[in-house]
Amino acid sequence: MEAYLGIDVGSVTTKLAVLNEGDELVAHIYLPTQGKPIEMTQQGLRHVKQQLPQDVDICGVATTGSARYLAGVIVGADLVKNEITSHAVGALHYFPQGQTIIEIGGQDSKIIIIRDGIVTDFGMNTVCAAGTGSFLDHQALRLNMSIEQFSQRSLDSTTPVRIAGRCTVFAESDMIHKQQMGHRTEDILYGLCQALVRNYLNNVGLGKDIQPPIIFQGGVAFNQGIVKALQEELGAEVIVPPHHEVMGAIGAALLVHEEMENSQNGSKFKGFSVSEIKYHTSSFECQACPNLCEIAQLAVNGQVLAQWGGRCDLWERSPTS
Amino acid sequence: MRIGMPHMGNLYIPFKALFQRLNIDFVIPPVNNQRTLSLGVRYSPEGMCIPFKLTMGNLIEAAELGADTLLMPAGSGICRLGYYAKTQEQILQDLGYNAQILCLGVSQRKLFGLLEMIKRLSNNAPWSKIISAFRFGLAKLNAMDRIERVVQKVRPVERIKGTANKLFAQAIKAIDQADDYNTVKRVQIDYLDQLNQVTKDSKAQPLVVGITGEFYVLLEPFSNLDIEKELGKLGVEVRRTTFISEWTKFSLFLNPLGMNEKDRIHKAALPYLKRDIGGDGWESVGEKVLHAKEYDGLIHLAPFTCMPEIVAQNIMPSTKENIPVLTILCDEQLGKPGMLTRLEAFVDLLEHRRRATSNRLRRVHGSLSGH
Repeated sequence: MEAYLGIDVGSVTTKLAVLNEGDELVAHIYLPTQGKPIEMTQQGLRHVKQQLPQDVDICGVATTGSARYLAGVIVGADLVKNEITSHAVGALHYFPQGQTIIEIGGQDSKIIIIRDGIVTDFGMNTVCAAGTGSFLDHQALRLNMSIEQFSQRSLDSTTPVRIAGRCTVFAESDMIHKQQMGHRTEDILYGLCQALVRNYLNNVGLGKDIQPPIIFQGGVAFNQGIVKALQEELGAEVIVPPHHEVMGAIGAALLVHEEMENSQNGSKFKGFSVSEIKYHTSSFECQACPNLCEIAQLAVNGQVLAQWGGRCDLWERSPTS
Repeated sequence: MRIGMPHMGNLYIPFKALFQRLNIDFVIPPVNNQRTLSLGVRYSPEGMCIPFKLTMGNLIEAAELGADTLLMPAGSGICRLGYYAKTQEQILQDLGYNAQILCLGVSQRKLFGLLEMIKRLSNNAPWSKIISAFRFGLAKLNAMDRIERVVQKVRPVERIKGTANKLFAQAIKAIDQADDYNTVKRVQIDYLDQLNQVTKDSKAQPLVVGITGEFYVLLEPFSNLDIEKELGKLGVEVRRTTFISEWTKFSLFLNPLGMNEKDRIHKAALPYLKRDIGGDGWESVGEKVLHAKEYDGLIHLAPFTCMPEIVAQNIMPSTKENIPVLTILCDEQLGKPGMLTRLEAFVDLLEHRRRATSNRLRRVHGSLSGH
């Protein structure tokens, strides 16, 4: 079976998706990154391999997400793509009519505006991570419940409380204040969802022409409370596609499929065996000028595979670029 | 008296040439680096823009090298920049440096104001010598900008990535070291020639992206995280709307004669913005309207907290001259990975847009020939 692999290594979660020749999803996995992008990429490879038939032939690999360059070196990527393009391509594959994509992940949130199947504008959070997955996780923990319970219980709210959502830290203090006043947990949960949706639309969505169909994806789209609050605030239906949490990886796989069809060369994929290699990462401070850049490097058996992180190109070394 | 001044791109080179010719004692602070930024951020009010903070760092580093007379651009009616020199002088004094700031005002008396200031600094050198030194500095400035324009075109299409950057760095060094007018000319010709001979991908049709916005962040690569080089790596041809040599030509020589290069830009902006809003905000809007046809997209650079550019930012996406605009706010918090992700996505957007447009044209042609 010919297949294409997309790997999305984000700040909080690592996602892998495998598509067959007909661009159907045949395997996927969603794992916490836990600050270990290399190990989680390797673990993800082991997981998808188990889901795939023996005769699978990986004809192309693409990496995306904030650790896309690192993951690209590890697996031997044919394509390294930014997460904005990957998400747009993934969503459009399932909903070609989509005009707005809202993506909220572990630490960043994006909005992508699409007209006639083409990305015309996008935005990404810059100054504030309010409303992203990490914050919601943290608040669920504080309320002593799982993120799944957070999602369910927020729907039972009858009179949501008002919470100041301009800043996550203030949202948190405001939320604690409401708890001390004796408000119901459900009402606080949904109030928080509303505050975060307002924050998202006022920051990331500022000045963007949000038109239906609206697609909502990324890990936070699991949260029913946020979905409901988004629909209310936008006054329009919000579609959460199946496999929304791995949509970036699916988009990357679709992109590399297209890329490989137009290419004479075979895939640079190093094989599933890379999940068994021991990688060594380290960093040092470059002393060549007063910038004192922190250079990170990746090595196997003492041999340096890639280096990056400088302001100039002095140390820049990456086999994929 | 020892002169020092802040950096903006390679502007120190023409000034160095001018000062050396007139035997003026001067120091050049280290080019912008992490220490400059840290110093600037530490001693500047928090809400100030990145041009203030970096120039503050430069002035402190110049004072550390013994400069007691610091030149700082200023002017009336432009933006907060008008009072930067005074504020910075106060900060330097609070830090214990006994330095005086001279305002390099070019907004009022144009060329004559500047020449008179040079005359004072040079301890009353004869006018002939001042004018000759001034011309020498200008020659260096013009040579650097001419080479840079070609570098911008070579970067996206060179076969071996980084060749143009390397040649540009060598050219800047050679121009800096040239000690007479003819050497400057020769260096210019030599490097333009070398750039033309760089092996290029002849089939490449690079995307053309304009870069406009606030003067300082456009011209100081440290403040915009080398955005032009990064775009070059992505295979994009950059057209920057501002070059210091052009600006000098107009603001010092042609504007006093009644020729204003900005009239055309302001006129283009008129349907959307009818007046000057300070800084370069009016120009940013005008440049977008003016170049919408020749650029595939536009990157708008603005310092964080810059009021004029924030006004421009909100006007630019909605003009009827419809090209994609990406605004990047520059300050000490701007991170390179975040900026690169946005640039990559912006370039993808422009490529898809170009492909869709050419497909549509092909379909129109196809249906026409079918009839």
